[in-house]
Amino acid sequence: MNAKRMLTVAGLLVLLCAMPLAQVAMQSPAGQAPPTKGVVLKGKAPVSNDVLKVKLPRPQEADLPNGIHLMILEDHRLPQIAMQMLIPGAGGYYDPADASGLAGFTASMMLEGTATRTSQQIAQEQETMASSVGVSAGGAGESATLVVSSLADNFDKTLDLAADILLNPSFPEAELARYKTRQKAQLVQMRMMPQFLAMERYSRVIYGDHPNSRVMPTAESIDKTTHDALAAFHRAHYVPDQAIVAIVGDITLADARKIIEIRFGAWKKADVTVPPVQDPAPIGPGKVYLVDRANSVQTSLIVGTPAINRTSPDYDVVSLLNAIIGGGPTGRLFLNLREEKGWTYGAYSSVSAPRFRGDWSAQTEIKGDVTEQAVGEILNEVNRTRTEPIPDKEFLDKKRSLVANFALSLETPAAILNNYITSRRYNLPASYWDMYPERMMSVTKEQVQAAAVKYLDPARLRIVAVGDARKIGDGLKKFGMVEVYDTDGKLKTF
Amino acid sequence: MRTRLIRALLLLGGGLSVVLGVSLGAAAPPRVQFTDTHLKNGLRVIIAEDHSAPVFSIAITYNVGSRNERLGRTGFAHLFEHMMFKGSPNVGSGEHFLLIYTNGGDMNGSTSKDRTNYYERLPMNQLDLALFLESDRMRALDINKANLDNQIGTVSEERKQGVDNQPYGKTSETIDNLAYTNFAYRHSVIGSLDDLRAANVDDVAAFFKMYYAPNNAVLAIAGDVKNEELLAKVRQYFESIPRQPAPPEVEMTEPPQTEERRQTIDDPLARLARLDIVYHVPQSLTPDADALSVAGTILSSGRSSRLYENIVRQKQLSSSVFASAGESRGPGLFRIGGLVMPNKSVADLEQAVYEEVERLKTGPIEAWEIEKARNAARRGFLSSLTSSLSRAVMLSQLAVFYNDPGLINTRYERLSSITAADVQRVAQQYLTPQNRTVVVTNPKPAAPAPQPGSQTGGL
Repeated sequence: MNAKRMLTVAGLLVLLCAMPLAQVAMQSPAGQAPPTKGVVLKGKAPVSNDVLKVKLPRPQEADLPNGIHLMILEDHRLPQIAMQMLIPGAGGYYDPADASGLAGFTASMMLEGTATRTSQQIAQEQETMASSVGVSAGGAGESATLVVSSLADNFDKTLDLAADILLNPSFPEAELARYKTRQKAQLVQMRMMPQFLAMERYSRVIYGDHPNSRVMPTAESIDKTTHDALAAFHRAHYVPDQAIVAIVGDITLADARKIIEIRFGAWKKADVTVPPVQDPAPIGPGKVYLVDRANSVQTSLIVGTPAINRTSPDYDVVSLLNAIIGGGPTGRLFLNLREEKGWTYGAYSSVSAPRFRGDWSAQTEIKGDVTEQAVGEILNEVNRTRTEPIPDKEFLDKKRSLVANFALSLETPAAILNNYITSRRYNLPASYWDMYPERMMSVTKEQVQAAAVKYLDPARLRIVAVGDARKIGDGLKKFGMVEVYDTDGKLKTF
Repeated sequence: MRTRLIRALLLLGGGLSVVLGVSLGAAAPPRVQFTDTHLKNGLRVIIAEDHSAPVFSIAITYNVGSRNERLGRTGFAHLFEHMMFKGSPNVGSGEHFLLIYTNGGDMNGSTSKDRTNYYERLPMNQLDLALFLESDRMRALDINKANLDNQIGTVSEERKQGVDNQPYGKTSETIDNLAYTNFAYRHSVIGSLDDLRAANVDDVAAFFKMYYAPNNAVLAIAGDVKNEELLAKVRQYFESIPRQPAPPEVEMTEPPQTEERRQTIDDPLARLARLDIVYHVPQSLTPDADALSVAGTILSSGRSSRLYENIVRQKQLSSSVFASAGESRGPGLFRIGGLVMPNKSVADLEQAVYEEVERLKTGPIEAWEIEKARNAARRGFLSSLTSSLSRAVMLSQLAVFYNDPGLINTRYERLSSITAADVQRVAQQYLTPQNRTVVVTNPKPAAPAPQPGSQTGGL
């Protein structure tokens, strides 16, 4: 539900030496106990121990006079083209202090009219071509993102429209009023969803007053937004100086460069720099947070803690630690809570590591009457990574799954290009993705355990539950003082 | 098992400029090339070779869905799908997940009213692994009470997560129950909790024997494989699995509806009223269903659509409205629905929807609206060819549903020939008051009532 919180390690490309893997595999003790009772290994299936050695395709790159950095991966298999443009400084992180949500508001309203096109004309023009053009800047991201895709023969016409939306939005008053009405209805809709309520409370608990604590604008901030505020935000923040344009599809660099220069050449460099981001403040002393959602027949749980940022030297180690605890259906949480206990449809964990300090969290929708036991099991799984050595086979399997998965991304060049966008945004070394497999395979069990001790400190773990307080409130008291909120986000007395 | 040498994929010029399997012409649309073979035991095998990435996908579609279930055993096809991951003679419970992910792949299973599908996507050197896993569990399952009880628990929580703990979760069950007379489509795929709890090991074993036979399945493999080599391997893994008697045909006939059906339900988890209107329509891939698909695009695809423009943007009766008929191999439903905007009435929204339906029947349909539907079909077709997984799933499913995997190349062309007159004709024929079922979901205040003044979020 919240893509920005998902770890984006998956879907890379691998360059891996097969021999060390096979050797390590042979060294692992035979008949070693599986990670939990949830899985039985018979070891009879034929597996190739080789990991495909594939060469990572590199994007072609060019810098345009107004500051735009162009990256392109040609893919001529099918006549379609997709582009994304990142505009650093125009994301929700840079909302004015008194106008939370303004960046996202501005981005959405850009599609509602330009100097020469009405809202209807914009919609009709793109949809008749089966093209799509969108702008988003929600959450606490640093950038606004313009996303464009089309059939190859409509790409230039689609970019003509996209450039008009980006450079000449008019924020018409009539559309603004309509948008406000729809957005406020959207807020009501979100409050019905237990996962939204859990994420809203969790983000508050972990991020305090930091921009990343906001998952949705408030009705008040929507109401007070004006045409002038939108136009001013657009004028100040939509500048090409640090923009990245990434294109994948049936087009050459030369053609792409020509089209981008024609469509976005009038966009003048502003000679401004993007202010640096700040880490969130340390978390408060609270422990357990319960959102009382009457009539719930399940509990939505998030257990998490502040963790690391994207450029932390521990990033790979924490990624691996996370995969062991809750990465997919082979993670310990899934095997324990679903495959062994049958208490849930799924249980996973994830790392969010942006430029400021992010967080690690485990999430599940759990059978209501075992809420207390489920929290206990999650805390226990976290604690095991701190106190028990990881079995050899499990550790090797996990590392292998992270690096062997890269071969699949060769089918989706967009995923490869995203890695290079990450490299550019975070100034990662040129060989970063080529070296990833070797780096990951060289992580030791001791490093992972040390990272668990360092980052998954029980004193900093916070528990958020959304469910029926009458049924689950008492059980949660076992884990600490419980603060109770209603589904409108207001503190209740308990 | 050792496989051949590590393979280097050469990518010239830094780009993915390899074109194989999907053949492109300057003007001609791309076409998926494939072979189509029946093994001696009745298993149909479709192979679409394509060497543009060192990856393959395997999809197996069993010709069984919730439409095959009987009264008192709802949810069984889906529960059974879960059992397929709990072990077979040579694979332990949960080992399937571990083998696929450890070797860089992904996998899943899914059940619909019409079919059950399983897939694996893996690096090309793990072909034997995928064939071994799928054939081992087609040959025999390790069915025991502990595994069954475990998955009854898991599926019960899946139902709560998707239905019972969500606003409007029970709305679609109410609609299908009211609109359909025939039990096959009348009940939900996830089924009832009571029926799930009543499932026993004997039921599972009988279900497996009847429906998970090679002659009731289609296996499709797309991607970086060699056709003849692969077919030999498929024979080696699958051909000795014995054929079973064909399962009974499902009686799908739906009697014509002669008057409007209507029901209002209360939902304690909802905060806004919701309107749903469904009309009986023919099965997919008939000329009328094609025209209704274009009608759906005109009515509700994107911000240029009629329902968005008039009901969402202008009249502000709803924040989003949908209209479409999903894929259905039996009698289908054309579904229109939306949430009612705060402080607006469901009656006004319903009236506004009917005005748009009538305008579709008699008013002009603009040339750009037809062009939009054609281009959307073309783009949808290209998107569906992008991954080996999508190609494999479509090939196997089209073979099961329509006995024609070649529809992967032609079904979108059908939409390109639909005219404005076709759309008006099907709108007049099917979108009629006596053919519709209307369900209104009203928010029911939770007890205890919310405290005054505690509301934020624009109520």
